[in-house]
Amino acid sequence: MDCNRREFLQVTGTGVLGLSLLQLGVDVKPVQAYTATLKIEGAKEVVTVCPFCSVSCHIIAHVRDGKLVSTEGDPEYPINEGALCAKGASMLTMTSNKHRLKKPMYRAPGSTKWEEKTWEWTFEQIATRVKKVRDTDLILQDDKGQTVNRLDSMFFIGTSHADNEECAAAHQMVRGLGIVHVDHQART
Amino acid sequence: MPKAFFIDTSRCTACRGCQIACKEWNELPPNQTRQRGSHQNPPDLNPNNYKVVRFSEHLDAGTVKWLFFPDQCRHCQDPPCISVGGSLVDGAMIHDAQTGAVVYTDKTSQISEKDFEEIRESCPYNIPRRNPKTGVISKCTMCFDRISHGLLPACVKACPTGAMNFGEYPDMLALANSRLADVKKTCPKANLADADTVNVIYLLIDEPKKYHDFAVAQNDTGIDRKTFLAHLFAPVRRSAESLSLD
Repeated sequence: MDCNRREFLQVTGTGVLGLSLLQLGVDVKPVQAYTATLKIEGAKEVVTVCPFCSVSCHIIAHVRDGKLVSTEGDPEYPINEGALCAKGASMLTMTSNKHRLKKPMYRAPGSTKWEEKTWEWTFEQIATRVKKVRDTDLILQDDKGQTVNRLDSMFFIGTSHADNEECAAAHQMVRGLGIVHVDHQART
Repeated sequence: MPKAFFIDTSRCTACRGCQIACKEWNELPPNQTRQRGSHQNPPDLNPNNYKVVRFSEHLDAGTVKWLFFPDQCRHCQDPPCISVGGSLVDGAMIHDAQTGAVVYTDKTSQISEKDFEEIRESCPYNIPRRNPKTGVISKCTMCFDRISHGLLPACVKACPTGAMNFGEYPDMLALANSRLADVKKTCPKANLADADTVNVIYLLIDEPKKYHDFAVAQNDTGIDRKTFLAHLFAPVRRSAESLSLD
Protein backbone atom coordinates (compact mmCIF):
# COMPACT_ATOMS: atom_id res chain seq x y z
CA MET A 1 0.00 0.00 0.00
CA ASP A 2 1.48 3.31 -1.06
CA CYS A 3 0.82 5.73 1.73
CA ASN A 4 2.73 8.05 4.03
CA ARG A 5 2.67 8.13 7.80
CA ARG A 6 -0.24 10.57 8.17
CA GLU A 7 -2.40 8.57 5.79
CA PHE A 8 -1.52 5.30 7.45
CA LEU A 9 -2.52 6.63 10.86
CA GLN A 10 -5.75 8.01 9.47
CA VAL A 11 -6.70 4.74 7.84
CA THR A 12 -5.81 2.43 10.65
CA GLY A 13 -6.23 4.63 13.68
CA THR A 14 -3.58 2.50 15.33
CA GLY A 15 -1.00 5.03 16.33
CA VAL A 16 -0.59 4.89 20.05
CA LEU A 17 -2.50 2.09 21.64
CA GLY A 18 -3.88 0.09 18.81
CA LEU A 19 -7.59 -0.34 19.15
CA SER A 20 -9.64 2.27 20.90
CA LEU A 21 -12.81 1.47 22.78
CA LEU A 22 -14.83 3.11 20.07
CA GLN A 23 -13.63 0.68 17.45
CA LEU A 24 -14.74 -2.18 19.65
CA GLY A 25 -18.25 -0.90 19.83
CA VAL A 26 -18.07 0.17 23.47
CA ASP A 27 -20.09 3.30 23.94
CA VAL A 28 -18.34 6.39 25.27
CA LYS A 29 -19.37 8.10 28.44
CA PRO A 30 -21.42 11.23 28.01
CA VAL A 31 -19.11 14.17 27.81
CA GLN A 32 -21.28 16.19 30.21
CA ALA A 33 -19.35 14.88 33.17
CA TYR A 34 -16.20 16.54 31.90
CA THR A 35 -17.46 19.98 31.08
CA ALA A 36 -18.09 22.84 33.43
CA THR A 37 -21.52 24.35 33.78
CA LEU A 38 -22.52 27.19 31.51
CA LYS A 39 -20.61 30.27 32.62
CA ILE A 40 -23.52 32.64 31.96
CA GLU A 41 -26.12 30.54 33.79
CA GLY A 42 -27.99 32.71 36.28
CA ALA A 43 -26.11 35.85 35.28
CA LYS A 44 -28.03 39.10 34.92
CA GLU A 45 -28.62 40.13 31.31
CA VAL A 46 -28.04 43.80 30.54
CA VAL A 47 -28.74 45.05 27.03
CA THR A 48 -26.16 47.51 25.78
CA VAL A 49 -25.20 49.09 22.47
CA CYS A 50 -21.98 48.32 20.62
CA PRO A 51 -19.81 51.47 20.76
CA PHE A 52 -18.26 51.15 17.32
CA CYS A 53 -20.09 51.88 14.05
CA SER A 54 -23.43 53.55 13.32
CA VAL A 55 -25.21 50.21 12.93
CA SER A 56 -25.34 50.26 16.75
CA CYS A 57 -25.89 46.53 17.25
CA HIS A 58 -27.43 45.51 20.53
CA ILE A 59 -25.33 43.33 22.80
CA ILE A 60 -26.39 41.30 25.83
CA ALA A 61 -23.90 41.77 28.65
CA HIS A 62 -23.91 38.96 31.20
CA VAL A 63 -23.17 40.33 34.65
CA ARG A 64 -22.54 38.32 37.80
CA ASP A 65 -21.70 39.93 41.15
CA GLY A 66 -21.16 43.25 39.42
CA LYS A 67 -18.63 41.77 37.07
CA LEU A 68 -18.95 41.34 33.31
CA VAL A 69 -18.59 37.64 32.50
CA SER A 70 -19.62 37.44 28.84
CA THR A 71 -21.08 39.41 25.95
CA GLU A 72 -22.96 38.33 22.85
CA GLY A 73 -25.34 39.70 20.23
CA ASP A 74 -28.95 40.37 21.22
CA PRO A 75 -31.17 38.13 19.06
CA GLU A 76 -34.27 40.21 19.83
CA TYR A 77 -32.88 43.37 18.27
CA PRO A 78 -34.09 43.49 14.65
CA ILE A 79 -30.98 45.16 13.25
CA ASN A 80 -28.34 42.60 14.15
CA GLU A 81 -30.58 39.66 15.15
CA GLY A 82 -27.89 38.33 17.51
CA ALA A 83 -25.02 38.65 15.04
CA LEU A 84 -21.88 40.70 15.56
CA CYS A 85 -18.78 41.53 13.55
CA ALA A 86 -15.25 40.96 14.81
CA LYS A 87 -15.23 44.28 16.66
CA GLY A 88 -18.61 43.87 18.30
CA ALA A 89 -17.77 40.29 19.20
CA SER A 90 -14.71 41.47 21.13
CA MET A 91 -16.68 43.47 23.69
CA LEU A 92 -15.69 41.39 26.69
CA THR A 93 -11.97 41.83 26.03
CA MET A 94 -12.42 45.47 25.13
CA THR A 95 -13.92 46.02 28.55
CA SER A 96 -11.45 43.99 30.57
CA ASN A 97 -8.29 44.73 28.58
CA LYS A 98 -5.53 46.40 30.57
CA HIS A 99 -4.94 48.89 27.72
CA ARG A 100 -8.44 50.30 28.02
CA LEU A 101 -8.44 54.06 28.70
CA LYS A 102 -10.54 55.07 31.68
CA LYS A 103 -9.35 58.66 32.25
CA PRO A 104 -8.34 61.51 29.93
CA MET A 105 -4.69 61.30 28.95
CA TYR A 106 -2.67 64.39 28.10
CA ARG A 107 0.62 64.69 26.28
CA ALA A 108 2.10 68.19 26.41
CA PRO A 109 3.57 69.66 23.20
CA GLY A 110 7.06 68.21 22.72
CA SER A 111 6.66 65.73 25.54
CA THR A 112 7.10 61.98 25.14
CA LYS A 113 5.01 61.12 28.20
CA TRP A 114 1.28 60.75 28.67
CA GLU A 115 -0.16 62.11 31.93
CA GLU A 116 -3.48 61.23 33.50
CA LYS A 117 -5.79 64.24 33.88
CA THR A 118 -9.21 64.89 35.37
CA TRP A 119 -12.28 65.53 33.23
CA GLU A 120 -12.59 69.07 34.74
CA TRP A 121 -9.07 69.96 33.69
CA THR A 122 -9.62 68.46 30.23
CA PHE A 123 -12.89 70.30 29.55
CA GLU A 124 -11.34 73.57 30.61
CA GLN A 125 -8.35 72.99 28.34
CA ILE A 126 -10.61 72.20 25.38
CA ALA A 127 -12.74 75.31 25.97
CA THR A 128 -9.70 77.57 26.43
CA ARG A 129 -7.97 76.28 23.30
CA VAL A 130 -11.07 76.40 21.13
CA LYS A 131 -11.66 80.00 22.14
CA LYS A 132 -8.02 80.95 21.58
CA VAL A 133 -7.88 79.41 18.11
CA ARG A 134 -11.20 80.94 17.12
CA ASP A 135 -10.21 84.40 18.40
CA THR A 136 -7.01 84.39 16.34
CA ASP A 137 -8.01 82.44 13.21
CA LEU A 138 -11.62 83.37 12.43
CA ILE A 139 -11.83 84.72 8.86
CA LEU A 140 -14.54 87.37 8.75
CA GLN A 141 -14.29 88.24 5.04
CA ASP A 142 -12.82 86.52 1.98
CA ASP A 143 -10.66 88.12 -0.78
CA LYS A 144 -13.72 89.60 -2.46
CA GLY A 145 -14.90 91.29 0.72
CA GLN A 146 -17.80 88.89 1.24
CA THR A 147 -18.68 88.04 4.84
CA VAL A 148 -17.81 84.37 5.46
CA ASN A 149 -17.14 84.05 9.26
CA ARG A 150 -15.10 80.92 8.57
CA LEU A 151 -12.76 79.00 10.89
CA ASP A 152 -10.45 76.88 8.71
CA SER A 153 -8.02 75.77 11.38
CA MET A 154 -10.38 73.51 13.29
CA PHE A 155 -11.96 70.17 12.46
CA PHE A 156 -14.94 68.59 14.18
CA ILE A 157 -15.60 64.87 14.31
CA GLY A 158 -18.62 63.32 16.01
CA THR A 159 -19.48 59.88 17.22
CA SER A 160 -21.20 57.39 14.96
CA HIS A 161 -23.86 57.00 17.63
CA ALA A 162 -25.26 60.50 17.43
CA ASP A 163 -28.86 60.40 16.27
CA ASN A 164 -30.48 62.93 13.94
CA GLU A 165 -31.38 65.40 16.70
CA GLU A 166 -27.99 65.17 18.38
CA CYS A 167 -26.31 65.72 15.02
CA ALA A 168 -28.47 68.81 14.47
CA ALA A 169 -27.41 70.24 17.85
CA ALA A 170 -23.74 69.46 17.25
CA HIS A 171 -23.97 70.91 13.76
CA GLN A 172 -25.42 74.19 15.03
CA MET A 173 -22.65 74.43 17.62
CA VAL A 174 -19.81 73.93 15.13
CA ARG A 175 -21.40 76.24 12.52
CA GLY A 176 -21.77 78.82 15.26
CA LEU A 177 -18.02 78.63 15.79
CA GLY A 178 -17.47 78.99 12.02
CA ILE A 179 -16.12 75.48 11.55
CA VAL A 180 -16.66 74.15 8.03
CA HIS A 181 -14.82 70.85 8.30
CA VAL A 182 -17.35 68.54 9.93
CA ASP A 183 -17.53 64.78 9.77
CA HIS A 184 -18.79 61.90 11.78
CA GLN A 185 -17.47 58.42 12.32
CA ALA A 186 -20.11 56.19 10.86
CA ARG A 187 -17.91 53.81 8.96
CA THR A 188 -15.96 51.71 11.38
CA MET B 1 -28.62 12.14 16.04
CA PRO B 2 -25.43 14.18 15.72
CA LYS B 3 -25.40 17.93 15.50
CA ALA B 4 -23.69 19.58 12.56
CA PHE B 5 -22.40 22.89 11.27
CA PHE B 6 -23.06 24.06 7.76
CA ILE B 7 -20.47 26.63 6.70
CA ASP B 8 -21.48 28.40 3.50
CA THR B 9 -18.23 30.02 2.30
CA SER B 10 -20.12 31.66 -0.57
CA ARG B 11 -21.68 33.90 2.08
CA CYS B 12 -18.53 34.48 4.12
CA THR B 13 -17.12 38.01 3.97
CA ALA B 14 -14.18 37.13 6.26
CA CYS B 15 -15.29 39.67 8.88
CA ARG B 16 -13.88 37.21 11.44
CA GLY B 17 -16.77 37.75 13.84
CA CYS B 18 -16.83 33.95 14.33
CA GLN B 19 -13.12 33.81 15.07
CA ILE B 20 -13.38 36.53 17.72
CA ALA B 21 -16.65 35.25 19.20
CA CYS B 22 -14.93 31.87 19.67
CA LYS B 23 -11.94 33.49 21.32
CA GLU B 24 -14.16 35.58 23.60
CA TRP B 25 -16.44 32.75 24.68
CA ASN B 26 -13.46 30.52 25.45
CA GLU B 27 -11.57 33.47 27.00
CA LEU B 28 -8.43 32.68 25.07
CA PRO B 29 -5.46 35.06 25.42
CA PRO B 30 -4.12 37.20 22.56
CA ASN B 31 -1.29 36.20 20.25
CA GLN B 32 1.73 38.31 19.41
CA THR B 33 1.01 39.36 15.83
CA ARG B 34 2.96 40.96 13.04
CA GLN B 35 2.27 42.16 9.52
CA ARG B 36 2.81 39.23 7.18
CA GLY B 37 1.22 40.71 4.08
CA SER B 38 -2.10 38.93 4.59
CA HIS B 39 -5.30 39.73 6.40
CA GLN B 40 -5.23 36.19 7.77
CA ASN B 41 -4.33 36.62 11.39
CA PRO B 42 -3.10 34.61 13.22
CA PRO B 43 -1.34 32.68 10.45
CA ASP B 44 -2.58 29.30 11.73
CA LEU B 45 -4.64 27.58 14.39
CA ASN B 46 -2.87 27.64 17.76
CA PRO B 47 -3.74 26.96 21.41
CA ASN B 48 -5.23 30.48 21.60
CA ASN B 49 -7.33 30.16 18.43
CA TYR B 50 -9.68 27.23 17.97
CA LYS B 51 -10.94 28.90 14.86
CA VAL B 52 -9.15 30.89 12.16
CA VAL B 53 -10.55 32.43 8.99
CA ARG B 54 -8.13 31.53 6.21
CA PHE B 55 -7.61 33.97 3.34
CA SER B 56 -6.46 32.55 0.04
CA GLU B 57 -5.96 34.51 -3.15
CA HIS B 58 -5.17 33.19 -6.60
CA LEU B 59 -5.43 34.20 -10.23
CA ASP B 60 -8.36 32.87 -12.23
CA ALA B 61 -8.11 33.81 -15.93
CA GLY B 62 -6.31 37.04 -15.03
CA THR B 63 -8.75 37.97 -12.27
CA VAL B 64 -7.79 37.85 -8.61
CA LYS B 65 -10.10 35.57 -6.64
CA TRP B 66 -10.18 35.80 -2.88
CA LEU B 67 -11.46 32.78 -1.00
CA PHE B 68 -12.36 32.69 2.69
CA PHE B 69 -12.35 29.56 4.80
CA PRO B 70 -13.42 29.63 8.48
CA ASP B 71 -11.29 26.67 9.58
CA GLN B 72 -12.17 24.59 12.66
CA CYS B 73 -12.44 21.01 13.90
CA ARG B 74 -14.77 18.97 11.66
CA HIS B 75 -16.07 16.78 14.52
CA CYS B 76 -15.63 13.68 12.33
CA GLN B 77 -18.35 11.07 12.54
CA ASP B 78 -15.63 8.48 13.03
CA PRO B 79 -12.82 10.61 14.48
CA PRO B 80 -9.28 9.29 13.82
CA CYS B 81 -7.93 11.38 16.73
CA ILE B 82 -10.16 9.47 19.14
CA SER B 83 -9.09 6.17 17.59
CA VAL B 84 -5.48 7.13 18.17
CA GLY B 85 -5.66 8.97 21.49
CA GLY B 86 -9.10 8.35 22.94
CA SER B 87 -7.99 5.66 25.35
CA LEU B 88 -4.69 7.24 26.46
CA VAL B 89 -6.05 9.16 29.45
CA ASP B 90 -9.54 8.56 30.76
CA GLY B 91 -11.70 11.60 30.08
CA ALA B 92 -9.08 13.50 28.09
CA MET B 93 -10.43 13.06 24.58
CA ILE B 94 -14.10 12.27 24.21
CA HIS B 95 -16.46 11.59 21.33
CA ASP B 96 -19.92 12.42 22.57
CA ALA B 97 -22.37 9.97 21.03
CA GLN B 98 -25.39 12.22 21.48
CA THR B 99 -24.12 15.38 19.77
CA GLY B 100 -21.25 14.00 17.73
CA ALA B 101 -18.95 16.53 19.39
CA VAL B 102 -15.28 15.63 19.70
CA VAL B 103 -14.15 17.29 22.91
CA TYR B 104 -10.69 17.53 24.47
CA THR B 105 -10.49 18.36 28.17
CA ASP B 106 -7.73 19.72 30.43
CA LYS B 107 -6.81 16.11 31.15
CA THR B 108 -5.03 16.09 27.78
CA SER B 109 -2.14 17.70 29.67
CA GLN B 110 -1.32 14.15 30.83
CA ILE B 111 -0.75 13.07 27.22
CA SER B 112 2.90 13.10 26.18
CA GLU B 113 4.23 15.34 23.43
CA LYS B 114 5.10 12.28 21.36
CA ASP B 115 1.56 10.92 21.62
CA PHE B 116 0.25 14.36 20.72
CA GLU B 117 2.24 14.26 17.49
CA GLU B 118 0.53 10.98 16.63
CA ILE B 119 -2.85 12.49 17.41
CA ARG B 120 -2.13 15.53 15.26
CA GLU B 121 -0.88 13.39 12.40
CA SER B 122 -3.97 11.24 12.57
CA CYS B 123 -6.18 14.28 11.96
CA PRO B 124 -7.07 14.51 8.26
CA TYR B 125 -7.60 18.26 8.71
CA ASN B 126 -4.53 19.12 10.82
CA ILE B 127 -6.55 20.61 13.68
CA PRO B 128 -5.30 19.67 17.20
CA ARG B 129 -2.77 22.03 18.81
CA ARG B 130 -0.80 21.60 22.01
CA ASN B 131 0.11 24.35 24.45
CA PRO B 132 3.84 23.77 25.08
CA LYS B 133 3.62 25.36 28.56
CA THR B 134 0.65 23.48 29.98
CA GLY B 135 0.68 20.42 27.70
CA VAL B 136 -3.07 20.84 27.14
CA ILE B 137 -4.24 19.81 23.68
CA SER B 138 -7.03 21.99 22.40
CA LYS B 139 -9.33 22.67 19.48
CA CYS B 140 -12.95 23.60 18.78
CA THR B 141 -15.29 22.04 21.36
CA MET B 142 -18.49 22.56 19.33
CA CYS B 143 -19.17 24.96 22.24
CA PHE B 144 -20.22 21.88 24.15
CA ASP B 145 -21.33 23.87 27.21
CA ARG B 146 -23.49 26.14 25.06
CA ILE B 147 -25.13 23.46 22.91
CA SER B 148 -25.86 21.36 26.02
CA HIS B 149 -27.90 24.33 27.26
CA GLY B 150 -29.74 24.86 23.98
CA LEU B 151 -27.58 27.78 22.83
CA LEU B 152 -25.93 28.09 19.44
CA PRO B 153 -22.14 27.76 19.26
CA ALA B 154 -20.55 31.19 19.73
CA CYS B 155 -19.28 31.37 16.14
CA VAL B 156 -22.69 30.56 14.66
CA LYS B 157 -24.44 33.02 16.97
CA ALA B 158 -22.11 35.85 15.90
CA CYS B 159 -22.08 35.28 12.13
CA PRO B 160 -23.76 38.31 10.47
CA THR B 161 -24.10 36.85 6.96
CA GLY B 162 -25.61 33.43 7.54
CA ALA B 163 -22.41 31.65 6.51
CA MET B 164 -22.31 29.77 9.82
CA ASN B 165 -25.24 27.47 10.56
CA PHE B 166 -25.85 24.83 13.21
CA GLY B 167 -28.48 22.17 13.78
CA GLU B 168 -29.31 18.50 13.38
CA TYR B 169 -27.06 16.77 10.85
CA PRO B 170 -29.84 15.83 8.36
CA ASP B 171 -31.20 19.38 8.43
CA MET B 172 -27.76 20.86 7.83
CA LEU B 173 -27.07 18.39 5.01
CA ALA B 174 -30.40 19.28 3.38
CA LEU B 175 -29.60 23.00 3.73
CA ALA B 176 -26.14 22.39 2.29
CA ASN B 177 -27.55 20.53 -0.72
CA SER B 178 -30.17 23.17 -1.43
CA ARG B 179 -27.56 25.95 -1.21
CA LEU B 180 -25.23 23.89 -3.41
CA ALA B 181 -27.88 23.65 -6.12
CA ASP B 182 -28.32 27.44 -5.99
CA VAL B 183 -24.62 28.31 -5.90
CA LYS B 184 -23.81 25.91 -8.76
CA LYS B 185 -25.80 28.11 -11.13
CA THR B 186 -23.15 30.82 -10.78
CA CYS B 187 -20.16 28.76 -9.61
CA PRO B 188 -20.12 25.44 -11.52
CA LYS B 189 -17.18 24.15 -9.47
CA ALA B 190 -19.08 24.49 -6.17
CA ASN B 191 -18.91 21.42 -3.94
CA LEU B 192 -19.56 20.16 -0.42
CA ALA B 193 -16.37 19.16 1.39
CA ASP B 194 -16.46 15.63 2.86
CA ALA B 195 -20.13 16.10 3.78
CA ASP B 196 -20.75 12.39 4.42
CA THR B 197 -18.03 11.81 7.00
CA VAL B 198 -17.87 14.98 9.11
CA ASN B 199 -20.25 17.10 11.17
CA VAL B 200 -18.91 20.37 9.75
CA ILE B 201 -20.10 20.65 6.17
CA TYR B 202 -18.42 23.29 4.03
CA LEU B 203 -19.89 24.65 0.84
CA LEU B 204 -16.91 25.66 -1.31
CA ILE B 205 -17.29 27.63 -4.54
CA ASP B 206 -13.99 26.42 -5.99
CA GLU B 207 -11.64 23.47 -5.73
CA PRO B 208 -10.83 22.65 -2.08
CA LYS B 209 -7.07 22.94 -2.71
CA LYS B 210 -7.52 26.61 -3.58
CA TYR B 211 -8.86 27.29 -0.09
CA HIS B 212 -6.45 25.43 2.13
CA ASP B 213 -4.25 22.30 2.01
CA PHE B 214 -6.50 20.60 4.54
CA ALA B 215 -9.89 21.85 3.34
CA VAL B 216 -10.81 18.23 2.59
CA ALA B 217 -9.35 15.13 4.22
CA GLN B 218 -5.79 14.43 3.19
CA ASN B 219 -6.14 10.75 2.50
CA ASP B 220 -5.26 9.51 -0.96
CA THR B 221 -4.56 5.89 -0.23
CA GLY B 222 -7.46 4.69 -2.30
CA ILE B 223 -8.95 2.80 0.63
CA ASP B 224 -11.70 4.24 2.74
CA ARG B 225 -10.82 4.24 6.41
CA LYS B 226 -14.24 3.01 7.45
CA THR B 227 -14.09 0.09 5.03
CA PHE B 228 -10.62 -0.80 6.24
CA LEU B 229 -11.67 -0.80 9.88
CA ALA B 230 -14.88 -2.65 9.20
CA HIS B 231 -12.89 -5.49 7.69
CA LEU B 232 -10.24 -5.46 10.35
CA PHE B 233 -12.39 -5.28 13.46
CA ALA B 234 -15.69 -6.81 12.42
CA PRO B 235 -15.25 -10.01 14.48
CA VAL B 236 -14.12 -8.08 17.58
CA ARG B 237 -16.91 -5.55 17.26
CA ARG B 238 -19.51 -8.26 17.05
CA SER B 239 -18.31 -9.97 20.19
CA ALA B 240 -18.08 -6.66 22.02
CA GLU B 241 -21.62 -5.75 21.01
CA SER B 242 -22.96 -9.02 22.28
CA LEU B 243 -21.32 -8.32 25.64
CA SER B 244 -22.61 -4.79 25.88
CA LEU B 245 -25.05 -4.34 28.76
CA ASP B 246 -26.93 -1.41 27.29
